[in-house]
Amino acid sequence: MGSPCEVLVDGGSGAQADEVSAAVAQEAWRIEDKFSRYLEGNIIHAVNTAAGRPVEVDPETASLIDFARTLYEISNGRFDITSGVLRTVWTFDGSARLPAQDAIDQVRGRVGWHRATWESPLLTLEPGMEIDLGGIGKEFAVDRCAALARDATPLATMINFGGDLAVTGPRAGRETWKVGIEGPELDAAEKVVELRQGALATSGDARRFLLRQGVRYSHILDPRTGWPVPNAPSSVTVAADTCTQAGMLSTLAMLQGGQAERFLEEQGVLYWCRR
Amino acid sequence: MAGVGVTDMQKPGKTAERSVSATLAAATCALLGTTVAAPVDAQEEPKWGFNTSLLYYGEDEDRVQDASFKSMVRRLFADDRTLSLGLTVDALTGATPSGAIRQDGPQTFTRPSGNDSYTVPAGDLPLDDTFRDTRVAITAGWQQPAGEMGLLSVGLSASSEYDYLHTGLNASYAHDFNNRNTTVSAGVSFASDSIEPVGGAPIPLTGMLDVDDTSNRLGDQDKDVLDVVFGVTQVITRNLVVQANYSFSQSDGYLNNPYKFLSLVDGVTGDTLPRIPGPEGGPGGQFLFESRPDERTQHSLYAQAKYYLNGNVIDASYRFMTDDWEIDSHTLDLRYRWPLGATSYLEPHLRYYTQSEAEFYRLSLDSSQALPQFASSDYRLGNFDAITAGLKFGWKTRNDNDMSVRVEWYTQSGTVPTAQLIGNQAARDNYPDLNALIVQFSYRFSR
Repeated sequence: MGSPCEVLVDGGSGAQADEVSAAVAQEAWRIEDKFSRYLEGNIIHAVNTAAGRPVEVDPETASLIDFARTLYEISNGRFDITSGVLRTVWTFDGSARLPAQDAIDQVRGRVGWHRATWESPLLTLEPGMEIDLGGIGKEFAVDRCAALARDATPLATMINFGGDLAVTGPRAGRETWKVGIEGPELDAAEKVVELRQGALATSGDARRFLLRQGVRYSHILDPRTGWPVPNAPSSVTVAADTCTQAGMLSTLAMLQGGQAERFLEEQGVLYWCRR
Repeated sequence: MAGVGVTDMQKPGKTAERSVSATLAAATCALLGTTVAAPVDAQEEPKWGFNTSLLYYGEDEDRVQDASFKSMVRRLFADDRTLSLGLTVDALTGATPSGAIRQDGPQTFTRPSGNDSYTVPAGDLPLDDTFRDTRVAITAGWQQPAGEMGLLSVGLSASSEYDYLHTGLNASYAHDFNNRNTTVSAGVSFASDSIEPVGGAPIPLTGMLDVDDTSNRLGDQDKDVLDVVFGVTQVITRNLVVQANYSFSQSDGYLNNPYKFLSLVDGVTGDTLPRIPGPEGGPGGQFLFESRPDERTQHSLYAQAKYYLNGNVIDASYRFMTDDWEIDSHTLDLRYRWPLGATSYLEPHLRYYTQSEAEFYRLSLDSSQALPQFASSDYRLGNFDAITAGLKFGWKTRNDNDMSVRVEWYTQSGTVPTAQLIGNQAARDNYPDLNALIVQFSYRFSR
């Protein structure tokens, strides 16, 4: 998952906690192995190296692709699982090195869900295109693992994969899970959220950006332009029923740039936006 | 810069935006293959915490009654910094033992104010019924992390009664070690109090005078108290936490109770020596105001263990205190928190306290002997045992605020050393039992 993952079980014995965390770890590794774009031999690798040929995907992958398509539609193309190749021209290392428009345009030719043909279970990409489910996978894994934990133990459990997290219910005595939202200073919790039910997810990384002539370029790329979304918040945290919903709402908010807060207000969700 | 802006053309309409979360919820259900998830229940940690309580303390036989209102407001700031402000208002009424012994005939005393006198019926324990007061106390505290593992607290306190003014300062530091399994703490507090007794502080061991005679009264008095505490808290297992403290307290200044006195008695009969009151009225017996040392050094050791298992908490503690007035005390305290369902609990409480008397504790002063330098018949400096037994019921309200009701009984019984009993005193109840009822209602909420 590219981040520290933890399972917290409220009460119970060490053996119970071990049992739950073993089940969770197994599921997390399964999802990681199956959907990581860094690994060879998995379904993502098969799709990305098909060179224009259709690839038949399994039902779980199909449901993720269906989900991604819905997001593409409701975000008017801002959320796009084929946008990953833009990273070949953009490196967000805090420097002033912006890519040339020519280079961006070249890559843009390989970006866009409208160029893909999805007739479940067959996915066909144009040669050179790639999909990356990284923007969904972690939140999906959190929810899957939370469901597993709910089945494995009646004890309240928190699944936390690098800050994207879900709880299976309130702690004993209806106590809350307290989650700190990091402030601009590392390790300093700026806000504390009390969670009894549901999930939290955060998008954004204040440490990944480019800075040129006083203009800050966030690492949130708009696949329609190939350029960073202007005025994107440095991070957005959303509370929702599931981690997947929280994660998608925070990502969609980031993609709204300067309109992030307005978008979140319209969704009527509890959120924390940092600029 | 060209190409940076997102074109407005593609900006979705408002209706589309509103439907995003609904569409997303449906898509998520399809993805996770679950039915509708339980709705999120999250909120930002409340910035304000309020803790209020109403307490009634009532001693039987018309002794002290206290109605107390307490309110604590806590404001939470970023990075675990906390400001707390507290207010306590006590309304006290009732009577307290004056220190004089029982007699077979009625006894007349001058009131502390010196303006009047009162008479206690034959055989009764002499109580001073002028005890009536309102006490207001305020506290302010600031707590903040100090470095990665430290926690610093500073505070101020003040309280005011019609005859007593307290001001205090305190500071403490706690440091975590060993993966936060060990906490070592040190604290210091200093109090500077001034005592303005009604009618003036009497000169120790002088006699109670006639009404309107204030010749043995002094002006205002003061007292300083320095407290130092060192503590260690250790997590033993995930279910067990133990704590040990050592504390030291040094009091200097006026440590008498200006309203307490002793009967001066006949060395054979043990009865109070008679006195002829003046024309304005006054005591019909000889009573001398108490005299305590102007210094007191206390040491105490405290140990506590808390054991948690599936919502049950057993909390046991023991305190040993010793001081240079030769009072030694032992306190054993047991609480058991027993959950009833997910949102309420029952907590029985049992406390046992025992102390030995101060070296200068006297039931009365023997007129056939030279007067001691120090003497007090204050029952709180005597040899006694006390038991507190109670039950607390706590529950969470529908909006997750905490409420509790606590009812406790306190019973105290003491003895006067046989060697101190003279003549007729042996046949009397010299250390009457004290029974009290405590009822407390607490409500905790946050905003």
